Amino acid sequence: MTGATIDHIVSLTVLLGAILLFVSLFNQTIQTAILYQSHRNLATKCSDLLDNMLLNPGSPLDSANTTFWGTTNSIPTTFGLQDPEFTQYALSPFSLMRLNYSSANPLYYPMTKMYYSNLTVGFGKSLLVPFNEVVNYSTVAGLLGINGTYGFSLTITPILTVSISRASDTPLNLIVSVTGNGYPLANANVSYCLVNVTGQAQYPSYNITSGTGVTNSQGQAFLSFSGFDGTNTSYAIIAYARSSGLVGAGDYEHIFYNNNYPIPYPVPLIADFSNGSVLLANSADFPYGGNNQTIAYNATFVLLAQDFTLREMPLSNRTGNISPGAYSNIVVPTNNTGILAITYNNSGIVLMPWGVSSMSFPVVFGANPLAKDWVATDTRLVTVGGVSYQAKLALWSLQGYQVVS
Amino acid sequence: MMRTIEVLLVIVIITGASIIASFFAFLPQPQQVSPINLRRLALTTLEMLDSDHDLSQTVFTALNDPSWGQLQTALSASLPPNIVYNLTVYDASTGGTQLYSMVNSISNAQSLGISSDVATYLVASSNATFNSTPEKIGEHGGGGTLYILNCSDSNGWWITGYTAQTLAQDLYNLLSPYFQVTIMVQNTTQLGQILNGTKISASPYENITSAVVVNTNGEAVPIPSGFYATAGYDTVHSSYAKYSFMLGNATNYYNWTWVSIVGYPLYYVSNTGLFPNNQNGWGIYGMMGVGASGLNAFLEGLNKSSYSYDDTWITNDSDHVPGLANVWLSSEASYYCNYYGIYPSPYQTATRALPVSILNKYNLTVTSYILQQVGTWLPGAFYKHVDPNSGAFSGAFLALGLARTPDIRLTALGLLCSYKPRLFPSQYGASGTSRLVVLQLGQVGGV
Repeated sequence: MTGATIDHIVSLTVLLGAILLFVSLFNQTIQTAILYQSHRNLATKCSDLLDNMLLNPGSPLDSANTTFWGTTNSIPTTFGLQDPEFTQYALSPFSLMRLNYSSANPLYYPMTKMYYSNLTVGFGKSLLVPFNEVVNYSTVAGLLGINGTYGFSLTITPILTVSISRASDTPLNLIVSVTGNGYPLANANVSYCLVNVTGQAQYPSYNITSGTGVTNSQGQAFLSFSGFDGTNTSYAIIAYARSSGLVGAGDYEHIFYNNNYPIPYPVPLIADFSNGSVLLANSADFPYGGNNQTIAYNATFVLLAQDFTLREMPLSNRTGNISPGAYSNIVVPTNNTGILAITYNNSGIVLMPWGVSSMSFPVVFGANPLAKDWVATDTRLVTVGGVSYQAKLALWSLQGYQVVS
Repeated sequence: MMRTIEVLLVIVIITGASIIASFFAFLPQPQQVSPINLRRLALTTLEMLDSDHDLSQTVFTALNDPSWGQLQTALSASLPPNIVYNLTVYDASTGGTQLYSMVNSISNAQSLGISSDVATYLVASSNATFNSTPEKIGEHGGGGTLYILNCSDSNGWWITGYTAQTLAQDLYNLLSPYFQVTIMVQNTTQLGQILNGTKISASPYENITSAVVVNTNGEAVPIPSGFYATAGYDTVHSSYAKYSFMLGNATNYYNWTWVSIVGYPLYYVSNTGLFPNNQNGWGIYGMMGVGASGLNAFLEGLNKSSYSYDDTWITNDSDHVPGLANVWLSSEASYYCNYYGIYPSPYQTATRALPVSILNKYNLTVTSYILQQVGTWLPGAFYKHVDPNSGAFSGAFLALGLARTPDIRLTALGLLCSYKPRLFPSQYGASGTSRLVVLQLGQVGGV
């Protein structure tokens, strides 16, 4: 009787121990499988969401773009970035302008008492959109139906890098280098537009020179401007490169200072998308923006044609003065992409893209994926205003994975 | 002791089960846990490379052409560094035993890794032409006859710059491929015949029932002399509104689609023999004014109501509704512009937009919007009459309440939007004109 009892106790103990061991073993496998499925589901969701953003133009929308959310001030009722005039993966350069960029701190302009979404890629190259006209992350997350369930970050970056450097100043010789992922693009067609300040009476004047070139086997095109003194002249050059369906843009500015103190410069601020209104502020009104000095300016708009040549388009009220604490207003009268070039005080040029693609501006929109448990990414190649971009979406769950703490 | 042995046996069984389960339940490779959608990436890469037709040009060049090298560089430059590719171009042939023969292949890796995906893209040579064969309306039974009023003994109005005959010819060219048979109604006598249910051609496909009747006379409508001129005359009100009522009745009875191409429908009746000395006030003879009562009577007839004279003006224009100054093609019409290759101006001016209230009043339903609705006004739409008793469709009405001069392409587009005949492309496999580009992508490295 005692032996049988001991037998039962031993066997029961061993059985319970074995069951616990196997349960934990199976539990580990099941946890891993559930995690795998969660991650795979996240990747599928990421792919679907990216297509959802890129393959519909959103609304409001109409054929004439009079109410299209990308070219007006209205908040979209459905979100999408596709260019309404195209199909497939062609994005609207204007819808992208209306996103609240997450890569830089917003800028406060005391004269309008408003904050501006800040997309600045260098001195005199910026896109500043007032907060009351940008579409912010939470709005988009709500429109996509993922508010509170998923977080995302959308990055749209140009595929080609078109960099311009000086080979010599007198005469001016420039080198345009075209690369993609580090690969030089040989035999790429380059079209360029040089804007240089030629002098100043009451307002500065400028000259525009256009031309073309072809890259060599190192992906470099040499542009020569005989008789042009690049040392004592302020100028900006915008270049477009095309090869085998890829299109990229780049620019270079030479700012000439003939004073030993910081010169204020005009800061273009978008005021109204629907009528193309742009405010020109005095940089002295911003921190570290230079001395309190009135700026004389002369603005022009160069339109980007389908063959990626730039053509000047006259503006009304193109010249004026901007005192500290005041601003001027000019209107870009078109829904085509181009570049607003503003020469000032015989000393420099600032540029603002009208449509992010005309200067190959990158766009980062959304939340920060750093320190998230698991981030799925997916990628598409797209065109924005004809320029080649890579669109990457990073997506993560905000609800955890349940199986791990 | 036996219990212990039994437990040990159970442990052996569970261990075996665990080993067997583990053998089948292996974990996926890291790349498969959170995969990039390589198929979409490949497709967007091909689309982007062909966005300015560069890819289409390259794949038709000789193999020693430098553009192949540029294509390879473009692929390397555009794809993420951890993606390897293989691009293969095939020639699509129609003759011989092999449908596709390989032309060239470029790659940046010997192997595409443990998993890969492909996208295909068909490109056409720039010197290729493609044909399409339209589906015939009515070929699956019911209707299929298009009557175009080309009456030589009637005049048109609100078709400034055209004659009914030139519009009829244009319409014939646009629409005849989509119908079983297209018949020009050459005079008002023939119009009277089809109103009587008599065929006017020798074509075996002519079918009066469920036909489409397009009135190319604009705001005027041809009227046959004889019975229709007599019975269609309202002697009490000295008006031919009753003729419009008879047209509405016939539209219902024969299940016609009556098409008004521009302006206020049925505003005049026209017969140069019947009204040789009457003009419409603007020097066009052979016309007799009916006014707004014509359309009201037509809708009454279409609704099988009893005739009552009603000369209430029911349309509206931009003077009262500013939005009618620029009315836009509906999204459906815009889509079918591309499908059928008919491209009228995307915006028009509506001066005779119909009110939404006619839908309830005359048991109509809009099945296709040709132009976008503006408030409670319909600048251009395809209406079907719904029998209130049976719920079946009986007769239809396409009205474009636009300002002159008419664009007959809008009429064609409106009918095609409503009937939606399919287009069957052909000659895509013509030798030397099509090449299939296959881009296979693989992922290297970890996730």
